[in-house]
Amino acid sequence: MISNQLRKVILSQLGLDDWDIRDSTNAGQIPGWDSLSHAMIIAAVEDEFGVRFTTREVLQLANVGQLQELLNRKTG
Amino acid sequence: MAPRCDRVTFLAESELTTDHDSSLDCKKVVWDSWRRHADSTPEREAIVHLSTDAEPFRWHWGSLMRAASRAAAWLAEHGVQKGDVCALIVRHNPHFYPLYLGVSSLGALPAVLAYPNARLHPDKFRQGLEGMSRRSGLDQILTERALEPMVTPLVAGEGSTIRNILYPLEVLSLPGSSDHAIAEHAPVSPDEPCLLQHSSGTTGLQKPVVLSHRAVLEHVQRYAEAIGLNAKDRIVSWLPLYHDMGLIAAFYLPLVSGVPLVQLSPMEWVSAPILLLEAISRERATLCWLPNFAYRFMADRIRDEDIDGLRLDSLRLVVNCSEPVRAESHDGFHKRFARYGIKRESFGACYAMAETTFAATQTPPGKEARRLLLDRAALSRGEVRVLPANEFAGGRWCVSSGQPVPGCALRIVDEQRKDFPPNRVGEIAISSVSLFDGYRNYPEKTAEVLADGWYFSGDYGFIHDGDCYVVGRKKDLIIVAGNNVFPEDVEDAVGAVPGVIAGRVVAFGVDDERLETEVLCVIAETDTQTDSEVKTLRLAILQAGMAIDATISRVYLVPPRWLIKSSSGKPARSTNRDRALAELRWS
Repeated sequence: MISNQLRKVILSQLGLDDWDIRDSTNAGQIPGWDSLSHAMIIAAVEDEFGVRFTTREVLQLANVGQLQELLNRKTG
Repeated sequence: MAPRCDRVTFLAESELTTDHDSSLDCKKVVWDSWRRHADSTPEREAIVHLSTDAEPFRWHWGSLMRAASRAAAWLAEHGVQKGDVCALIVRHNPHFYPLYLGVSSLGALPAVLAYPNARLHPDKFRQGLEGMSRRSGLDQILTERALEPMVTPLVAGEGSTIRNILYPLEVLSLPGSSDHAIAEHAPVSPDEPCLLQHSSGTTGLQKPVVLSHRAVLEHVQRYAEAIGLNAKDRIVSWLPLYHDMGLIAAFYLPLVSGVPLVQLSPMEWVSAPILLLEAISRERATLCWLPNFAYRFMADRIRDEDIDGLRLDSLRLVVNCSEPVRAESHDGFHKRFARYGIKRESFGACYAMAETTFAATQTPPGKEARRLLLDRAALSRGEVRVLPANEFAGGRWCVSSGQPVPGCALRIVDEQRKDFPPNRVGEIAISSVSLFDGYRNYPEKTAEVLADGWYFSGDYGFIHDGDCYVVGRKKDLIIVAGNNVFPEDVEDAVGAVPGVIAGRVVAFGVDDERLETEVLCVIAETDTQTDSEVKTLRLAILQAGMAIDATISRVYLVPPRWLIKSSSGKPARSTNRDRALAELRWS
């Protein structure tokens, strides 16, 4: 389940008002989330939640659900 | 004296010499250079393939060529013949390299194409390949099983030239004997085609460029001279090989000259840009090519806490290429990473295009690319007026792309293609020993750009003190982070969105100061008025861009008849662009 807070950070980085984001949603399914904006979104998520991801962790993320899980582990 | 070609292809422990007095051995094809490296230095590193999920995979010349022979034997068994155009569509894989060399050894023409990402609609990908088949006479597709459902319908498609879809890496990546005896590589003459690359884009509008063995070898040899390539060099690259900068500078140059190549995955680099700097540091790389956006991207996205024991002092030349070169990009990168040893004199630049094989000009190694502060108002009139460096107001920094590489000449011409004197801005025309012969099966496009041995680039620039400065493009081409985007493709995709008035769309690029590259903007006419309809329409436009793998950054929705038409009846791009930027707010 994607938290509202994570959803908001992603949408605000991409300048979107709304978008259906589920666990299985990947970057390619969200307008504007391309390889270039990826690093920017990850940085915004880190700032918002006060966490740091390693390069390896970022490279292994396949969808938004996995980003949420990683966040839960770091903040939990 | 041995021909110069031997000096490059035989690169031994001694440095390359740079004499000019002997011409290229006319009996050579690229395969000969690879064969010679394998025979003379089988233990020398050829390619270091880096990936974050495995240890570095190190190909040495002996093992690489044995694997290439095995690949060639397998391909021949499966019907690949001399002269076949073979599309290679595979992800970052250490067994890609011998496959590529194997295709080449059969006298077939490898054409590397981008592996479709999740954003690209399968139909759009298929249409691109169909367009390529019609244009280039695509014979074979060498790809991965995952694409089978997408590519299989192509074979039966109307007018398709595609005979075969093969999945070679399933076999060639397995440890296997190299007993597959292979006959000597197909007899190929230097003037026969060596490879096919695309001048830009990967959609139906792509322009295929076929280069001969002679053109590639001539270019690689002369470009090696221009950058002072020597036996101590190591090239590092994350560049994709479906782009001329990756394919020629960071694939053919190292492989023909015998200089080791360290190759990263483009997708991994863009997710974790530190990987490039780590590779430079660990592998002691000396040479690297980057599009302009990558400097700012790395300076911004790499964090101090990710940097551990980094050393960039081995880099002797980093070449900025394929987008307009910005002084602030070099300055920002240097400021950010100078403490790790990168030197100012390593910041070079070049002006290159697929039509001339690769580079037309290059700054000299060991010297930072020169820059000029120009009067912006004079520049807009096509005049070059240099300002003192402290008079920044009203000025624009222009960075030199260097001087013509050996075998290449430049002219600056007016609208009638008559020569301009130095310090006048005009269209850049290039003649080169490694000039292409024309776009494949595209005589009308060829006739537009090629005349009397000169290629008319559509780029605007000027010559000052013998250096070439590129200031803009005559074409409407948009370059987003090194990728060429045709406005026509975007306009067609957006024009088909319900709610947008058909044919009433303009796409253009705008400089983004934050990203130091262009971003893609769209103006679309619509009758839609309510807030919720406008929101829905805007999202639909963004999605239409996604389906052709183009990220639209700004959408301007305008009422009917807002767009200004040109004399041809189509909306005029530059006029509407200027009007939108002056009058409208984007959403």
